[in-house]
Amino acid sequence: MNRSLITLAVGAALAAPAAAQTEVEKLRAELDELRQEVRAAAEWKDPTTLVHMAGYADVGYEDAEGSPGSYLVGTFAPIFHYQFNDIVMLESELEFEALPDGSTETGLEYLTIDYLFHNNAALVVGKFLSPLGQFRQNLHPSWINKLASAPAGFGHDEAAPNAEVGAQVRGGFGLGGHRANYAVYIANGPAVELGPGGTELEAVETPGLNADEDGKKVVGGRFGLLVPGPRLEFGLSAATGEVGELGAGGYTGITRDYQAQGFDFTWRPGGFNIVGEYIRQEVGANAASTAPEEGVWDAWYLQASYRFPATDWEVVARYGEYDTPGTEADREQLALGVNYVFASNFVAKATFESNDNPNPGEEAGDRWLLQLAYGF
Amino acid sequence: MNRIRHFRMLPAAALLLSGLPLFAPAAEEGGGDFTRGAQAWSIHCQRCHNVRDPKELRDDQWKTTANHMRIRGGLTAQEVRDILTFLQESN
Repeated sequence: MNRSLITLAVGAALAAPAAAQTEVEKLRAELDELRQEVRAAAEWKDPTTLVHMAGYADVGYEDAEGSPGSYLVGTFAPIFHYQFNDIVMLESELEFEALPDGSTETGLEYLTIDYLFHNNAALVVGKFLSPLGQFRQNLHPSWINKLASAPAGFGHDEAAPNAEVGAQVRGGFGLGGHRANYAVYIANGPAVELGPGGTELEAVETPGLNADEDGKKVVGGRFGLLVPGPRLEFGLSAATGEVGELGAGGYTGITRDYQAQGFDFTWRPGGFNIVGEYIRQEVGANAASTAPEEGVWDAWYLQASYRFPATDWEVVARYGEYDTPGTEADREQLALGVNYVFASNFVAKATFESNDNPNPGEEAGDRWLLQLAYGF
Repeated sequence: MNRIRHFRMLPAAALLLSGLPLFAPAAEEGGGDFTRGAQAWSIHCQRCHNVRDPKELRDDQWKTTANHMRIRGGLTAQEVRDILTFLQESN
């Protein structure tokens, strides 16, 4: 009996260090594994290259005078950001638009490589949103736009230029105790499109032409000043150059003078947000053309919105006019809206548009728009 | 004719060359300031859109987003660093 007890005691005494040794080895292995995980996590904590996708989308319902009401998918616009250190960033926005027949149209809204070369300036090269004015370059995304539609004349290929392909320098600086921002650019410029009969000017095409068929560049820019304080900003825009003439068979070989001018402001007194903008594009006369007369496209709008304190409700009113060389597209438009702001980037909008065409014999229908807009 | 064409290219060349390393890259300049960043965030973001909550994005996502807004809103590199400091310390 005593011998068995002694044997057990000796066995236990010999086994204890061996078990402890196994436990230590196990802990060491776990520690090594954790170290590897921590190292792997730290490796991607602050990489020199960053990739990020942002963007916006909207869906909704439209009931226009003279047409049956329809549910619709508006726009899906993913924005890709690739940044290396604080030196360079590639930005690109795609635009997917669902068409009435169920097919999908894809567009490259912009694609630029931005060289962040100075505290007050960045060089932006590629296809960029037109720096003229503020709606097209800053306010058009549906989660930002307070109404479910663009102001009359501020849609694609209307009075406000949409995009350019070229190079621009833009940035901000202090000016006598105030804050200023600017953009100057040189680009391929737009083209002026002739109507079906070739005897009238139809539109200024500003999709961001990827070839300068007329060989004439356009230069322009915008200067913005926050004065007298940060709640009020004024902007002045201008561009000049020459544009090619686009007929039914392509470029006609004729060029015309091109001028654009714009003025915009934003003001945020209390819970109000008031914005206004005027833009004008002019294409000069050319006696050699089948449509020799000059053409002017201009548009303006004034918009006020108010967010009720301590609520998620917002009301919006906008009035604007759009004037073209023809008569069919001219508009006088009043838009009223009520929005529910679920989150800063997720808004439900109900918009009513009253549209009139001031020209004799021309008509424009009213419409209701319901929209859910999400910026991500 | 070629000479005229070359003259026409001067503005484009000048714009492109203005970006070459005549200036120090923004990355070599000073760091951000939380208080200045909070002020700049409240001023500049609302110029166009509703203010976004700092908690909406991770630190690295704010970095690309802030630089995107530098281009869109005409901000200085220093303002971007200040805003980033505010956002990254508030999320």
